[in-house]
Amino acid sequence: MIFGFLKSSTLSPRQLRLQNTSLFRSLKPLEIKFVDGLMHERRYLPDEIVFDEGEEGQALYLVMSGRVQISRTHSRGRQIVGELSSGGVFGDLALLDNSPRSAQVRALDACELAVFFRDDFLALMETDAVIGYKISLALARHIGQRLRGWLDGHAQLEAL
Amino acid sequence: MSQGSLRDIHSGPFVWTGIIGVTCLLLVLLEHMLWLVLPFILGTVMYYILLGPLQRLLRAGFTRNVSATLVCLVFFGACILLLMAAMTWTAAPGDTDSWHRTGARYLDGGVAFVRNTLALLEAKFPILAEMHLNAVVNKRFKAYTDNFAQRHLTAILLGAAGWLPSLLLAPFLAFFFLRDGLRFKKFLARAVPNAYFERTLYLLHQVDQTAHRYFEGLLKLTVLDTIVLGFGLWLIGVPSPLLLGFVSALLAWVPFVGSVVGCMMVVVVAATDAPGNPLIAYGATVVFVLARLLDDFVFMPLTLGRSLHIHPLVTVLMIFVGGALSGVAGLMLVLPLLGVVMVIGATMGRLMTDPRLRARHRYARRLRDRQASVDLNV
Repeated sequence: MIFGFLKSSTLSPRQLRLQNTSLFRSLKPLEIKFVDGLMHERRYLPDEIVFDEGEEGQALYLVMSGRVQISRTHSRGRQIVGELSSGGVFGDLALLDNSPRSAQVRALDACELAVFFRDDFLALMETDAVIGYKISLALARHIGQRLRGWLDGHAQLEAL
Repeated sequence: MSQGSLRDIHSGPFVWTGIIGVTCLLLVLLEHMLWLVLPFILGTVMYYILLGPLQRLLRAGFTRNVSATLVCLVFFGACILLLMAAMTWTAAPGDTDSWHRTGARYLDGGVAFVRNTLALLEAKFPILAEMHLNAVVNKRFKAYTDNFAQRHLTAILLGAAGWLPSLLLAPFLAFFFLRDGLRFKKFLARAVPNAYFERTLYLLHQVDQTAHRYFEGLLKLTVLDTIVLGFGLWLIGVPSPLLLGFVSALLAWVPFVGSVVGCMMVVVVAATDAPGNPLIAYGATVVFVLARLLDDFVFMPLTLGRSLHIHPLVTVLMIFVGGALSGVAGLMLVLPLLGVVMVIGATMGRLMTDPRLRARHRYARRLRDRQASVDLNV
């Protein structure tokens, strides 16, 4: 981003919301704009399924507005394991490996999600080490936080 | 639940029959659009060449529009400068008709080579002398070349003039691919229902990767061909071996037909520049045949076929099918088309037959219908 200082750092409302998520908080405005160019926008109705448990994960999701519910199948039926609102991130493990989704995600309200496709993320890691490093660090912190919660017996959100 | 890795899709015989059928159908349709096919292929090659520099500029903070404009200006500017330098270098100063004279010299050289070869054959094989092979061929040559200007030159010039605007499309296509490619991908993805979204993203990525690998393979093939031909021609003493090798490698983008045209060009150059030594022209033919055999049956299946993950036998067979169905356009297009149709066919087959995804899509449609008619008495 050598010419970044020449550019205006005005971000759109959507880019500002992206910057407020834990994953992209450390990115500079120009980097946010670059990442935003790679992301897709999806809208879900209440009760619509975002992805299923067991499905192969291809992307990470950021909740831009609304709420989603995370649930898993147990021997006694479906168990709700968490709920995420604006700024929340889920499906992060799909970015790191090809493992199947470990829970189902369903929209609770009408929600807007930003989608980061895995191969776009991997290409970004290869072509832009700085942005890749910042997002990877944020991802590692996110997963670490979840692990700490699990060790403390406060497991709320499953790794998806 | 829809399970299993998308990366391990193996199509069955029915899907493969469909893939080959759709590829053949597209080839037949595209045969009538050769004017668009060639600039499209050139534009796509340029797009993949310029994609790396574009991404570097984007990361440097330039907008997509400015980055695409800059890389295109630099690349096409350099191409025009190189072309002008080559033309200035080859034309003698103040000699305006040197191109005509050069062309005529090589044409005469080629004709003389054919006559000498026929004379040599007549001397070696008396049966050919009895058939007056040389005289017959000379007569045909004369009849053809005498009326050549009147009968064919206008058509050739008109054909070339007709092709020029369509070839000028290539840089424009490359520019718009670079500037709007990502926007187009997002536009396509936006039209996909939520249930199929992730897998469609994967499909689009795979199509892009397939085209990328194919054109990367094409560039690798050009480099390999240039090296092999240049080395072979240098060994037998043909002048400008690398340039001839490079032009022949570019012609080889059209499988088989391009090779024949390239071979004729090299033989004519060898026969004209070394008229006293026909062995060089014969040697050039041998080098060319060997290089072509290597190219069509080893390099091409290995670079292009492998880049598309298609079995070498299928690659070779489909090249023949493409040529039989659509001529030159078919030869050029059959492999990239087969690669793209293969990816789309295999993934679509998987998507459409997944009962869970279909059920989720039906459910989402019902939710949308319900929401749309919430205050309506229907």
